[in-house]
Amino acid sequence: MNRTFQCLVLSTLLLAGCDSKPEAKTEPAKKAEATKKDVPTKADPKQAEPAKQPEPTKQPEPAVVAPTEPTPTEPTPAVVVSTGTCDEKQTATSKEADERAKPYGITEHLTKNFSDMKVSWLMKETPYQSFVVKTAAKNFGRCDDTGCYLFAAPTTVIEKAVNDSMKDGKHDPAVIGTALGLPAANFEGPLRMMTLDLTAAASACVRLPVDSDPGVWKCKSEEDKDCFKFGGYTSGNVPEVMVINAPVDKAVVKEIQ
Amino acid sequence: MSEEVLHQSPLMYRVLRESSGRLVIEVVVGGIAMYAVRVRLDDEEAESWAREGAAFSDRLAKAITADPKLGGRAYEA
Repeated sequence: MNRTFQCLVLSTLLLAGCDSKPEAKTEPAKKAEATKKDVPTKADPKQAEPAKQPEPTKQPEPAVVAPTEPTPTEPTPAVVVSTGTCDEKQTATSKEADERAKPYGITEHLTKNFSDMKVSWLMKETPYQSFVVKTAAKNFGRCDDTGCYLFAAPTTVIEKAVNDSMKDGKHDPAVIGTALGLPAANFEGPLRMMTLDLTAAASACVRLPVDSDPGVWKCKSEEDKDCFKFGGYTSGNVPEVMVINAPVDKAVVKEIQ
Repeated sequence: MSEEVLHQSPLMYRVLRESSGRLVIEVVVGGIAMYAVRVRLDDEEAESWAREGAAFSDRLAKAITADPKLGGRAYEA
């Protein structure tokens, strides 16, 4: 009896063991089949993603990486357009100019054309030497009791005009003139290109130029070039701003042969 | 050949005496592209300069800035 019972128990256990193992194997097999079915559709990224679903559990890792990566690039969004430091007089003039240009204004103008807050302008070598170097000027532009007044354009525009004009290390005045809508004669001979990062020039004030600004030559006809038209664009349709008190020591000066 | 600087203005102009003794005003003109032009003072202007000094040359410089050709009298510096 005992042997019979033991044999029965053993056989039952063996049978049970044999039944359970195949079941365990069929599940992965089914999964494998399922994944294999997915393979042909792996081209569909939507389906490939769910297969990687377990990875989102590692989210803390990218979350840690994310703040470190954007940090070096954060200065880019930090370039917020600003009119700088304007005194009472310049603020009032700017307000009047904005009122006249409505619905446009200096903020819209800077956002549209000077989003990197970098301005440039050109000057012939001889006057640069006579009026900036020899005088040890502290600010660029025409100065009176109220400040130093300077017309400036977006650096990208001036830079492109100059770069496009370069041939064998020398600039072509006609190319710059055409690009800036000004007579080629204005660019003959050696030039200086000044660039000022307004974000680094805290003392400067920026606004739309107005008729009464020093250096303004009012256009008398549609054909006139190199003259002043109100609205933030030169007669050659290049964006311009009036920079008051642009510091010489903050500008980058480049020689153009 | 040498010339004497009689007055250098922060408005970006200067009054010069040429070696011939004639007075010249040199003015920086232009906006985003600046260059300089010169105008020889006639006798009347020279007298006004002698009498008024910078007050006169300021006016003349502004007139040249507002019309860099100054009726054809200006030439490039």
